[in-house]
Amino acid sequence: MVSSHQDTDLCTEPEVLRTNNELGHPLGNGGEEFVDCYSEADISKTLAYAYETNRTVNIISGGTKRGYGGQIEQADILLSLKHYKGIVEHSVGDLTMTVRPGTTIKEITDELSPFGQCLALDPPWPEQATIGGVIAANDSGPKRLLYGSARDFVIGTRIVYADGRIIRTGGKVVKNVAGYDMNKLFIGSMGTLGVISEITLKLRPIPKYEGVSILHFQNGQEMAIRKFAVHLLDSMLEPVCLEVLTPSVAKKMTGKNQYALVIAFEDRERAVREQEKWIQEHIPKEAVLTIFHQHEASEWWGQFYHLGASRCNTTDDVKIQAALKIGSNNLDVLDNLQIACQLADDIGVYVEGHGGVGHGITKIFMEGFPEAFISFVELLRKKVEERHGYVLCTHLPFVLRQKISVWGDKPEHFFLLDGIKQVNDPKRILNRKRYVGGL
Amino acid sequence: MADNKGRLVDLLSKDNVESGAPCETKRLGNYLWDDPPDENKWADCVHCGMCLEACPTYQETGEEQQSPRGRVYLIKAVAEGKIDVNDAFAKPVFDCLDCRACETACPADVQVGGLIEEARGQIRQALPLTGFAGVFSRTVLRGIFPHQNRINTLGGLMRFYQKSGMQQLARKSGVLRIMPTHLKDMEAILPEVGKPVQGRFPDVVPAEGIPKQRVAILTGCIMDVMFSDVNEATIRVLTHNGFEVGLPKRQGCCGALHVHAGERETGKKLAKQNIEAFKEYDKVLVNAAGCGCALQEYPELFKDDPDMLPLAEAFSSKVEDVSKFLYDNDFKRPTAELKTKITYHDACHLAHGQGVRFEPRHILSEIPGVEMVDLPDADRCCGSAGIYNLTHPEMAGKLLDRKIDDIPEQVEMVSMGNPGCMLQIAMGVTKYGRSEKVVHTVQLLDWAYEKEKSATTS
Amino acid sequence: MLFGKDRKATKPDAIIQQLMRIVGQKEVLYLQEDLISYECDGYTMSKGMPKAVVFVNNTKQVSDVVKYLNKQGIPYIARGAGTGLSGGATPLGGEVLISLVRMKKMLHLDLENRKAVVEPGYINLKLTQSISDKGYYYAPDPSSQYACTIGGNVAENSGGAHCLKYGVTTNHILGLEVVLPTGEIIELGEDGVPDRPGYDLLGLLTGSEGTLGIVTKITVKVLKNPEAKKTVLAYFDDIADASQAVSEIIAAGIIPAALEMMDQIAIEGVESAAYPVGHPRDIAAFLLIEVDGVAAGIEDQIDEILTVCKDNQVREVKVARDEAERGLWWANRKMGFGAMGAISPDYLVQDGVIPRTRLPEVLTKIAEISKKYDLRIANIFHAGDGNLHPLILFDARIPGQSERASSAGSACLKVCADVGGSITGEHGVGIEKSDEMRFIFHDDEIEAQTKIRAVFNPDDRLNPGKLFPQPGRCVEVKQEMSKEGL
Repeated sequence: MVSSHQDTDLCTEPEVLRTNNELGHPLGNGGEEFVDCYSEADISKTLAYAYETNRTVNIISGGTKRGYGGQIEQADILLSLKHYKGIVEHSVGDLTMTVRPGTTIKEITDELSPFGQCLALDPPWPEQATIGGVIAANDSGPKRLLYGSARDFVIGTRIVYADGRIIRTGGKVVKNVAGYDMNKLFIGSMGTLGVISEITLKLRPIPKYEGVSILHFQNGQEMAIRKFAVHLLDSMLEPVCLEVLTPSVAKKMTGKNQYALVIAFEDRERAVREQEKWIQEHIPKEAVLTIFHQHEASEWWGQFYHLGASRCNTTDDVKIQAALKIGSNNLDVLDNLQIACQLADDIGVYVEGHGGVGHGITKIFMEGFPEAFISFVELLRKKVEERHGYVLCTHLPFVLRQKISVWGDKPEHFFLLDGIKQVNDPKRILNRKRYVGGL
Repeated sequence: MADNKGRLVDLLSKDNVESGAPCETKRLGNYLWDDPPDENKWADCVHCGMCLEACPTYQETGEEQQSPRGRVYLIKAVAEGKIDVNDAFAKPVFDCLDCRACETACPADVQVGGLIEEARGQIRQALPLTGFAGVFSRTVLRGIFPHQNRINTLGGLMRFYQKSGMQQLARKSGVLRIMPTHLKDMEAILPEVGKPVQGRFPDVVPAEGIPKQRVAILTGCIMDVMFSDVNEATIRVLTHNGFEVGLPKRQGCCGALHVHAGERETGKKLAKQNIEAFKEYDKVLVNAAGCGCALQEYPELFKDDPDMLPLAEAFSSKVEDVSKFLYDNDFKRPTAELKTKITYHDACHLAHGQGVRFEPRHILSEIPGVEMVDLPDADRCCGSAGIYNLTHPEMAGKLLDRKIDDIPEQVEMVSMGNPGCMLQIAMGVTKYGRSEKVVHTVQLLDWAYEKEKSATTS
Repeated sequence: MLFGKDRKATKPDAIIQQLMRIVGQKEVLYLQEDLISYECDGYTMSKGMPKAVVFVNNTKQVSDVVKYLNKQGIPYIARGAGTGLSGGATPLGGEVLISLVRMKKMLHLDLENRKAVVEPGYINLKLTQSISDKGYYYAPDPSSQYACTIGGNVAENSGGAHCLKYGVTTNHILGLEVVLPTGEIIELGEDGVPDRPGYDLLGLLTGSEGTLGIVTKITVKVLKNPEAKKTVLAYFDDIADASQAVSEIIAAGIIPAALEMMDQIAIEGVESAAYPVGHPRDIAAFLLIEVDGVAAGIEDQIDEILTVCKDNQVREVKVARDEAERGLWWANRKMGFGAMGAISPDYLVQDGVIPRTRLPEVLTKIAEISKKYDLRIANIFHAGDGNLHPLILFDARIPGQSERASSAGSACLKVCADVGGSITGEHGVGIEKSDEMRFIFHDDEIEAQTKIRAVFNPDDRLNPGKLFPQPGRCVEVKQEMSKEGL
């Protein structure tokens, strides 16, 4: 059992608090004061203090998602989890591990690989992105097609609530339906319901063999991609991803300025090769196939995970960067990418994009002038929403977030979301206005 | 058997003393009469619900009390004194088709059918039938079925009705219009009534060639009137396979309808009569699934009668469906071709009641030129369920609609092993203006043999 | 007793009449004889009479019924097939049951985008059956899948034998239409599009045991059938060897589609029931292991599994020859709970979860509990994910046995909680385990959840008294009460 209240005078300023020297960050989401947390107690103390004294708190870790949502440039306190990292427990036989939020994806991978295990989550920027941030923002990569996303393998958390109490959700076992599935509330909640102080994850064995097959389609042959993808999805193949790349991304990755379909297999070697054989046998006549295995495949992915915009790669001051996440029906991904490319041409922004035809998530990176972005997002959103999809801005400079709706319209059931926020953070101090509808 | 003979006569004569005499009554909760439902049968039920979707009445209504689990729960509730034996209890108990699909689905082998019949017995004693139902029960169930001569007379009348032109007259005159729809539908498909095999065939029909074994067949009550051609086919098929076929005279109705209706005392009388009638035989073959099942379940009727129970058990072990018997005895594969596409419907009392599913299908598939097409949910009740289609026309009609709907378009025949289903499905086929011929499995085998014979003679 | 002989509510009261006006006269059950079979669901240790059962045919009717009951202040419960094993659909007494079994249509099927939309009364297995000819299936396969509804699966977040590899219900739900306790109709995960902005209410609702809303439409993920499936049956003379084999299979980097274990008493049960396989009666346990996936990768995995079994003193190990044999093995396993009826008049199934590696010690403790309470305990479990189903066998007709069974069940859960596990892996908390929630959650954590409930269901009128312990009551109290036969 965990004691829920710290025995400290709540109104005393925790000694960890110090003045923030890095004010006026172009991505906003900063704080007047800065806390670097090294323990759960640090988090709890800070929040208890903030709660009592009605101070707002912004939460940050690796910083890759600093440009993701948020209408407040400076909160009272910027709480960093970057140094609250490390593995709490790795139960090898149970294929589970408990980690602290500031642990980067790369660190987790490195810790696990000697045991032949991995976390099957492949968000971009694994060296900077921390597990806490990835869970809070519900980020994912192309391989969610087979492996799923955060909600499929977070089995437990410890959450520091706004008032400093520590609440556990879920547990340490892979199957658990005791009480509400509270884990889900915190995944993707952008830190607005509590600060994640520990995460227990379900792991997988590292696949024995991997291969990446890239099919390049001649320009103008986009219909062939769809046809092939549908055929493949209806086959007995079990790809881990089925990601379409825009010509701009393909050019970066392979040198060919053409739409490409990336099909990855991770299984026993024989199974991988057998599936690649199927691809070779069914390759559309318009397409050219390249296959990488093992080391080459990993390298290819290494490059892929460093595409696009985040705080990790900024350019000059005039042109800015932005990133979008589109959710849609699986097969609409292809159309969404084409629409984005078309709009980009019309409006005059540079875009790169990729999306999974098996899972419905598309990511778009943009570079250009701010004014062009506004109309680009507006027009794209309109098109996507026509087919029941949505567009989110996962990376935008603070000033632009005042002009472009990051989350789109509030859902009709917003009152429930608001009610939940009210329960967990009645004073609305945590990542205030970071999430949809100003939550 | 010889040892039992004397006792059997005693028992049978003892029964002739009307059983109105007060005897010690075994009360069980609110069951106040003799022969209450068997506690051990519901003790097996753990309320898991696996039976729900197997039950046609649950599928139609979605009501728990109209499910096997629910009915068992109600039956138990009466024993626990929670509810009375009254109309509200009687409804779900009598709405059961007695199709036994639940028994197939049940992981714990709960004998739902037996429980239902026992509960019906209690209900009939608590709430004697009045009005039309009472008249029907008294005249038909108690007055006609136990007496084969009366059935034969009725059959004769029906034959007269059909042959004399009265049927045509009735159909034209509109007399039928005043009948309830379901009876009208039924009239429309009355098979052409033939002459019973009983009396036309010798007591023992000799085998073709050297006899392998002597078997008896249950000629049945309705079967021998409405479907005497199926009985004839059965005799021909068996004799062609080298069996001597006995047609014991004293046999009668199996009693299934009575037991299903809660008329357990009449059922017991008929059971005793049949046990006696077949005592000379080691094998009793049945071509009507419902009857076969009833004969096999005679021990259930005598569960509280230690004298009769061993006799009933010995008897029931001799009873077998004709298709299973043919299959087990390596029936002669016909050589003549019957070019036809058929589908097979599992009669409830064959598939669920006796576990016979594979054998009839195998027989059909061994006939050259027969192409088998699967019937979806082949073992879902067609709604016939003995006289259920008379007592519950609405539910029976819904089930029939589903059954007809499931029959694949391209088939020419629907084969099965139960006369009740044959009547019901024939009615459905007519109602929907379809052309499939409704046949008994042994009939197809018979036709193949006959074709073979005529080919060799010509 | 609520149901004395003299209490004959034959005339519908004003509330029943109004419900009849909303849904139709024939769609409301209110006679005691009609209601009595609704006293409990698949969990029979707790019973309560509903006020009425209302059959709804569409979302609007659900909403109208809910609005009306709210106005009248009458509590209500959504019910599917009633196969739940924790009393989630069991009335405490006086609730109106809203039966969703007649809402059983498939509304939409989109195989290209791998999703199907069904009504809540749609039967789990029917979904797979209706798409199997096209090569697709619905993954969550609770053993009750022959009869249970997908609406019920959502409420309970049902698992199944194959969730080791494919996950439980929540991993397969893309969208829900929900009638809130206010009668409002909301849509979550519209069109099955993933990751919509806003807190993951889909995830929260799934497994909320019918306390947050009534699901009236469900969008589920459908999967392509694996190219190949191989099933292994391994007989062990020592349960520790079987447990060790489980760990080693996982350690070998294999994620079997299913990894099931059954002990000797459980084997006695299934072998006495409807689908006997012919398992030797004298073995300590068997493992049923299924691997699926791309055919070319399967053989290696089977070889490794066979090796692991042999390394762990397996008595006999075999691979299913054909689909018929595989089907029989699975039928034997899936009928496991019901099969207990063949060897015991009553059983209580528990649903604890433990870290897989603690299996041997937990099984020893369960054996001790069996001895202490003098009740036989059979074990059927999803060994792969550490989800145990101790089946406590008893005879309710023998005074005191029900209470002892209940206490033994609670003790099993305590053991699971103490090794860092959970009190339920797939059956839900329901009425049964609400007090045992305290084994794993402290008051603040329970309060954090009840406050969320209050956002949706402020008056606790929807499925009241479920899931969470009554304030101030602890498990020991329950056990004491049960000892006194209350």
